[in-house]
Amino acid sequence: MIKIENLEKVYKTEEIETTALNGINLHVKEGEFVSIMGPSGCGKSTLLNVMGLLDKPESGSYKFVDTELLTLNDRERSNFRKRNMGFVFQNFNLIDELTVFENIELPLIYNKVPATERKKLVNEIIGRMNIVNRSGHFPQQLSGGQQQRVAVARALVTKPKLVLADEPTGNLDSTHGNEVMELLCELNETGTTIVMVTHSSHDASFSNRIINLKDGHVISEKINKGRTEELI
Amino acid sequence: MFKLNLKIALRNLWKNKGFSLINIGGLAIGLTCSLMLLLYVNYEWSFDKQLKNFDKIYLAKLNLKFNGNIATTGAVPYKLTGAVMEEIPGIKRASRFYVHHGSKLFSKGENKFKLKSLYVDPSFIQILRYNFLYGNEGSALSKPNSLILTASTAKKLFGTENPIGKSVKWDNLKELQVTGVIEDLPKNQSIQFEILQPWAFFEQIDSSVKTSGWGSIDCAALFELKDNASVEQINGLLKNFVVNKEPELKSYIYEPFLFPLSKIHLYSQFENGKVVGGGIDQVKLFAFLALCVLLVACINYMNLSTARSEKRAREVGVRKALGSSRQTIMGQFILESLMLSLFSMMIAFALVEVSLPYFNNLLAVTIEINYSSYLFWTVIIGLILITGLLAGSYPAFYLSSFIPVKVLKGFKGSIGTLSFRRALVVLQFSLSVCMIISAIVVYNQIQFLKNRPLGFDQNNMVQLDLEGAFKDPSKTEIFKKELLQAGAIVAASEFASPFTEGGTITGDVSWPGKPATDRSIINYRSTGFAFTNTIGAKVLAGRDFSPQFSADTNTSVLLNESAVKLMNLKKPVGTIIHWDNEPLKIVGVIQDYFSERLGKIGEPTLFYYNVKTSGVLLLRLNPNQSLTTSIEQIKRSTQKFNSAYPAEITFVSEGMQTKLQSERLLSILSNVFGGFAIFISCLGLLGLALYMAEQRSKEISIRKVLGAGLSDILVLLNKDFMKLVVIANVIAIPIAYILMTNWLKKYDYKIDVNYLPFLLAVVASILIALLTVSLQTFKVAKANAVDALKYE
Repeated sequence: MIKIENLEKVYKTEEIETTALNGINLHVKEGEFVSIMGPSGCGKSTLLNVMGLLDKPESGSYKFVDTELLTLNDRERSNFRKRNMGFVFQNFNLIDELTVFENIELPLIYNKVPATERKKLVNEIIGRMNIVNRSGHFPQQLSGGQQQRVAVARALVTKPKLVLADEPTGNLDSTHGNEVMELLCELNETGTTIVMVTHSSHDASFSNRIINLKDGHVISEKINKGRTEELI
Repeated sequence: MFKLNLKIALRNLWKNKGFSLINIGGLAIGLTCSLMLLLYVNYEWSFDKQLKNFDKIYLAKLNLKFNGNIATTGAVPYKLTGAVMEEIPGIKRASRFYVHHGSKLFSKGENKFKLKSLYVDPSFIQILRYNFLYGNEGSALSKPNSLILTASTAKKLFGTENPIGKSVKWDNLKELQVTGVIEDLPKNQSIQFEILQPWAFFEQIDSSVKTSGWGSIDCAALFELKDNASVEQINGLLKNFVVNKEPELKSYIYEPFLFPLSKIHLYSQFENGKVVGGGIDQVKLFAFLALCVLLVACINYMNLSTARSEKRAREVGVRKALGSSRQTIMGQFILESLMLSLFSMMIAFALVEVSLPYFNNLLAVTIEINYSSYLFWTVIIGLILITGLLAGSYPAFYLSSFIPVKVLKGFKGSIGTLSFRRALVVLQFSLSVCMIISAIVVYNQIQFLKNRPLGFDQNNMVQLDLEGAFKDPSKTEIFKKELLQAGAIVAASEFASPFTEGGTITGDVSWPGKPATDRSIINYRSTGFAFTNTIGAKVLAGRDFSPQFSADTNTSVLLNESAVKLMNLKKPVGTIIHWDNEPLKIVGVIQDYFSERLGKIGEPTLFYYNVKTSGVLLLRLNPNQSLTTSIEQIKRSTQKFNSAYPAEITFVSEGMQTKLQSERLLSILSNVFGGFAIFISCLGLLGLALYMAEQRSKEISIRKVLGAGLSDILVLLNKDFMKLVVIANVIAIPIAYILMTNWLKKYDYKIDVNYLPFLLAVVASILIALLTVSLQTFKVAKANAVDALKYE
């Protein structure tokens, strides 16, 4: 589904140039669950941002199914993103001023889904995420795990083809972390493609494939046999 | 510690140049405006206060019954001062002074000038204690033919030589002797003149002065009280002073009282015999305006400083973690704002100095900065301190209250401060909107008064004083004929006094059906033939005075519309009325015209033919000939007929221009300073927009990641600000409405306050705010979403 070829990204400040991505090639099949691992500053978040169309690389190609995404302009990128992708962040990135329900509803509003349908979709996902009794609360009234469920719910409510997760368990304790990972697995089992950045090999063990980055290069790729077999 | 604070403060200012610029700029403009207004307020306030004994000096005022109301005039009987000195204790000195309409000719050889002179009692110069350059207080007015000149008058007539003992010719008739020269009068003194002449001289040239009774009021009177005298006591004795001597005046009330000279300038409006205000209202308004502009500027600073707080939060956190106390940190921020206000004051100072000449020119005043005055420096330093403390206090309290751990972990501004700052912005904008509305209403009213039909044609109309040879009516007649033949004018008529100034009044007119208790007072003006043609007024009934009717020169009168209304005459033309018991026949009715006051209803006026007592000649220029040609012809003829006098021809339209002076002033000031207030408010809004954008950058990024477009974000951010501006409008509109309807009350003819100025203000404020905010929000909305999310 995703074909990334020769991706390069350089960060420039006044004095230094940092190469974040240095000729990355990556293919992701539909329905796959890919983990990206590597030390700090290896470019894994940058790669995820580029995949999420939040950042533009200097050169290379990024094909989604058969569409070249890097030549799109801002508006097209934004449109493509809201129809096809969902995001889960380490620090949840919920809007404090909005309730759980409203937070989840937001992407549907931007996708111009009619109000009655929005209500149906949000309630459905709230049910699935097991946060029904929390729908009128504000993010700060929830525990970290609950907040991340809301974030996952928000990422899924538009039924995206691709979910991008940036260290989704980074701010959670292991119990809550596992809950979230199980949630992602369930999601993956229903056919959603997931790309996840993580530090934790425990989390990575939930995925089908683990890609190791260092200094902007892919240094190794590992098929997670257990999971893949399970999948088969 | 102080040195370190100073270093941080300076580096901070330098590091954030844009921010410092907005901040210093806003404060500087605010300070400039308020300094300027305060200078003006001080100028007005300082009137007559430069006299050493000003609190002991009083002017006589007289309450009179005037067409049903009580009018208060500064004119009193000639006999008042003498009688009061004799009979009422507590008065040290008293002096009459008589002010001419217009000016008199004074000549020294070929140096001829029309100058403003006062006839005064010798004690006048002792009361007002002028500084004598030549001569002395004691003897300068001892002889009837003495003259006291001001320094610049002396220079005009004599150049640099010592004028003492030299002679000056008065009105081309009498040689007078200069006995004193005094320093030029400060502009902020109410009693202004170029020459002083002794009262004895006045009595010589006008025999009626000595015999004038209590019923005629022609001069002003100045009193200096003894140190221990109580003005209340004296006023108690003065109340019935005149009516005790002349009981029949009782029906006119006729109560004199003393009024402080130092208040004359600002308190000139009397109602029912009591002072109700005057220029002071405007001065108070301007002082208030100065405060508002300064407040708006200070609010700005608070907004911008707290907006930047996130960037400073880390510094505060680190300093607190290193053991700095809250006081030190507060000191730091106060010092910073004091430094900013010092810089701003320096800029404001330069701006004031640069713009003062324009300001003076615009308002026709002579304000200058008195650098040697303690008051001035106190105010300057006071303003720096107040501005610095006021502007810096909130940021200091707010920023120093940060809890280090929270700040270092990542800072989130609290909701409480945001609503406080919202309130500040609402306040700012309310003030600005109020000012916009007021400026528009004042402007409309001025335009309305300007465009209102005057009842006469002010263009192509000039006047000249009837003096010298022109005192002889037959000569004036030949002069008129010559100008008519030459085609310079199309009509001419004598008139009592300068056309755009006030004139004489009488209570001695009676008419058929006049109630016995009626004490109506009527204006009277002498004219020549063809008066209505000359001024371009409409004759509503009957006819104008004409040489064809011999009775016109002694028993015919014209009335204006208001007089007919007052007398309730059904068929005015042909009616006989009495003036001083002499029967007079009404031959015509003139439509009311307004040459003396604008915006007021017409006053009943009677016109009679008398070219001998008339003081000016009104000329209607030939509209088919160029103005300069006509004026040249008139000047040449004047020189030929009346060579001893300079040919001074004044345009009536110029006199009319001065009528709206205070309205013009109000309009200019509210426009200019209202404009600045709005500008500063926009800076404030920009500050809040910066703050909000910074505050919400994470939220905006999340929304963008979730698919929000540019327009979604712009609407989201602008909506909040528009709410504030709308609230400000809701507050400002009723206040402005009340203010403006109150202000308009003093006009008999006024505009209806309709929705337009309000609509304009609403639209303008929203548009301006929208532009300002969008400038900032657009940047945030366009920014890369990842940047804000990355550094959490």
